[in-house]
Amino acid sequence: MSRFTKRLRALWRRSQLDRDLEDELAFHLAMGTEEHGDLPAARRGFGNVAGVKESCRDLWAFTSIESWWQDLRYACRTLAAHPMITCVAIIALALGIGANTTVFTVITSALNFDMGVKQLERLAIIVPSDAARRSGVVPPLPDFRELRELKSITNLAAYRYAEVNVSDLRALPERYSCVQMTASGWAVVTRKPLFGRELGTADELPGATPAVLLSHRIWEKRWGGDPSVVGQVVRVDEVPRVIIGVMPPGMQFPEDTDLWTPLTLHDLLTPGAQRSAMIFGQLAPGATPASARTEIEALARRIFPGLGTQPIVNVRPFLELIGVYDSRALLYAVLCAVGFVLLIVCADIANLLLARAAARAREISIRIAIGAGRARIVRQLLVESVLLSAGGGVAGWAVAVAGLRWFDGMSAQGRRPSWVHFSMDPMAFVYLAAISVGAGILFGVAPALELARVDVSGAIKDGGRGADGGIRARRASALLVVFQMAACVVLLAGAGLMVRSSVKLYNAPLAFQPANVLTMQISLPERKYPKADDLIAFYSKLRDRLRSVPGVEGVSLASNLPFAGYVPLRGDVEGHGPTEFGGLVVDAGYLRDMQIRLRRGRTFNALDEASDSASVIVNESFADRYWPGDNPLGKHLKRTAAGGWLTVIGVVPDIQQDFRRLLQRDPLIYVPHAAEPQRSFYVIARAGVAAVSLAETFRRAVQSLDENLPAENVITLQDHIAQRRLSVTAFGKLFTAFAVIALLLAAMGLYGVISYAVSRRTQEIGLRMAMGGTQRDILGLVLRQGMWQVAIGLACGLPLAFLCTRVLNKALIGVSPGDPLTFAGVVLVLGFTGILGCALPAWRAMSVDPLAALRCE
Amino acid sequence: MLILKTLTRGPMHGYGIAQSIHQISDEVLRVEEGSLYPALHRLELDGLIDSEWGQSSNNRRAKFYRLTPGGRKQLTQESARWRQIANAIARVMEMA
Repeated sequence: MSRFTKRLRALWRRSQLDRDLEDELAFHLAMGTEEHGDLPAARRGFGNVAGVKESCRDLWAFTSIESWWQDLRYACRTLAAHPMITCVAIIALALGIGANTTVFTVITSALNFDMGVKQLERLAIIVPSDAARRSGVVPPLPDFRELRELKSITNLAAYRYAEVNVSDLRALPERYSCVQMTASGWAVVTRKPLFGRELGTADELPGATPAVLLSHRIWEKRWGGDPSVVGQVVRVDEVPRVIIGVMPPGMQFPEDTDLWTPLTLHDLLTPGAQRSAMIFGQLAPGATPASARTEIEALARRIFPGLGTQPIVNVRPFLELIGVYDSRALLYAVLCAVGFVLLIVCADIANLLLARAAARAREISIRIAIGAGRARIVRQLLVESVLLSAGGGVAGWAVAVAGLRWFDGMSAQGRRPSWVHFSMDPMAFVYLAAISVGAGILFGVAPALELARVDVSGAIKDGGRGADGGIRARRASALLVVFQMAACVVLLAGAGLMVRSSVKLYNAPLAFQPANVLTMQISLPERKYPKADDLIAFYSKLRDRLRSVPGVEGVSLASNLPFAGYVPLRGDVEGHGPTEFGGLVVDAGYLRDMQIRLRRGRTFNALDEASDSASVIVNESFADRYWPGDNPLGKHLKRTAAGGWLTVIGVVPDIQQDFRRLLQRDPLIYVPHAAEPQRSFYVIARAGVAAVSLAETFRRAVQSLDENLPAENVITLQDHIAQRRLSVTAFGKLFTAFAVIALLLAAMGLYGVISYAVSRRTQEIGLRMAMGGTQRDILGLVLRQGMWQVAIGLACGLPLAFLCTRVLNKALIGVSPGDPLTFAGVVLVLGFTGILGCALPAWRAMSVDPLAALRCE
Repeated sequence: MLILKTLTRGPMHGYGIAQSIHQISDEVLRVEEGSLYPALHRLELDGLIDSEWGQSSNNRRAKFYRLTPGGRKQLTQESARWRQIANAIARVMEMA
């Protein structure tokens, strides 16, 4: 029988073994008594009976496991003996751990894009250099065939992103995103289609049947997950294409898209086409972006000898194209913020335990006195705190699940990449377990060490009451409070900046009236509407149709909604020469329907609906930049792309078009749509009734004009704006929530420490009052002690916050990371919280009855 | 090893083992009780000795230890090694 099984059996017959051991030793002692004459002599001869028993038992048992088990049971009993403290600690921990796990899951889910591509990190994009882009003169690039010869980049590929109209007999036409990509791009894709095949070189040959590959998402949404879909024909922008396959869920290379179609060399080599395409490839083994760039520059200079020395291209990692990846610093900032919250929780609980440590000094002393090793005591106390945090972890899991559901719902309103699914994966559980145990050790270590150092004889003699907890313990808890305050400063600063950002965002004058406006997007495919006249005819028919809908007061068109960008333009401005600015193409009714008040001049009129209109409206920024102090009316400007000089007929206030750069005022011009017919327009309808109710009517109206044409993004203007603001407001809310929790916890910590100190000093305070100290003196005494800690916390926290908020720079709107107003606010809030935390204990100190306090000595 | 050797003379209880080692070694060696019992239990766990309860000479219940075949083998091995080492030490001592 092996040792192990013997031990297992021993575990089973535990009491039997104990009795045997007892008997055996008793027998030995009995024999000894016979020899030595009396029992005490035999005992002396034998030595430490309990010790021998212990070491024999150790042999038979899995002592280490059993003693852990013992510790665990003891810890359970201790925690159950103080249900209030345990509950408070577990709730605080659950919030902290739950919030951390939520944020961790959200971030890992958002950053978890394997994209189904081999060596994503080795993919590089070739883009014009920043210098070339700034100069506005786009340098000639070698064409795709020439670039294919590069040694440092293999599998050179190109793709183009477009919005397309998809129609077939199955369902209403809809607008989908479509990626045209060369077969060389598919070569790096490792995911295989769920059904059918992927795109290959054969699809790029002239005369090949036009093909289309579906994403899992639209296959389910539009085709109801029907596997027989392969081989069917759909019209993509009026081109009949055969469905050749369905990609698996989560496949979103090179972008989050619904459809893939081939991109032929012929498409790429038509003039201007390469500009609209993104060119990428895999870095060859040993090649770096820098070496690839050098090779391309050399190639370009060989082909175009006239090029100067200015760099013309840049080779950058493909990953930079992914927005979430690009803003990962901000995501990590959130993770840090929530981590700070957990640290503050830990500090709070550590303080709680430190306070209790004084009360437990007697118990621990007795345990040490009867032979427990100090290491064992520390271990036992740590088991207790880890058990506590494990309880917090379990509850925190529930919090995390709820938090994820909330976040999922919130982010579903915004535009979320399709590969992001917020779910608890095994990594999240590992993280949860790790932070739970880590937190337990963190907040347990100081009190445990404190207790293990207890002065045994002193503590037992004092009967617990006088066991002072020691100067050291009090210093430790004061330090913890200082740390909490400092962490609070960082969180408050972050939250303050984000809140200021949202406030700036909301308070920025809109200059238009968003209520009761319904918008939708229409894009006319080139194949069916080839000429400018077709576009104008369709949109004027559409406007007429929509105006006849009851409740609609006005319908107009614009190339871009507010907060949704503008058309970048180049042109000449009178008195300035060539320059760049932005533009919106609108119809005559736009300013009226948006209720934009003109600053000067007139709006477009019926005459401007003609294609030879030479009128243009500029915004205030434009007028200020190009004709400061002058009357802009009657001035002239010209667009490089189209025709003659235009005359400024009016000036409108600035309207935010680019919501990311709030305080930057973009010079914009408004061009009548007849002069510049657009394929894609936003339709804007001002309604006398609730705008949402019109959505279905609008969809049907579009359908009645062209059954293959989808009405996209049918949404009220208010919802559109809210969507665009979502990221700022969401981060603002998140940081504020963290900061408020942190502040509460820190106040609790301060309150705990101060009130504990007051209760210890009751006699002293009583004495002071008896000696003639006024209530004012006592108040000062307590407040001084508390505010001192707050002040040190501020002193440490402010520089730290100053450093940390730099990370937020990208997410801030109109506020600099070191915004003095925010920091002043932080100081005020923290000071106020500090006073609140001290107020109650101070009041209790003032109401101490000197007689009672002195008598209890 | 000493315990194993002592047990070759037949089953014995702990007290007896301690006594007999003490006597045979002419009172030179004295086994500490503090280490005797843990040692006995370790040997038992390792399967070198076996134990059963029986009557002692003065009619008390006592736990008797007995060599197992494995213990016997272990003893032969260990005494061989011991003899080797002892001889080696003795030779070195004589040389010097």
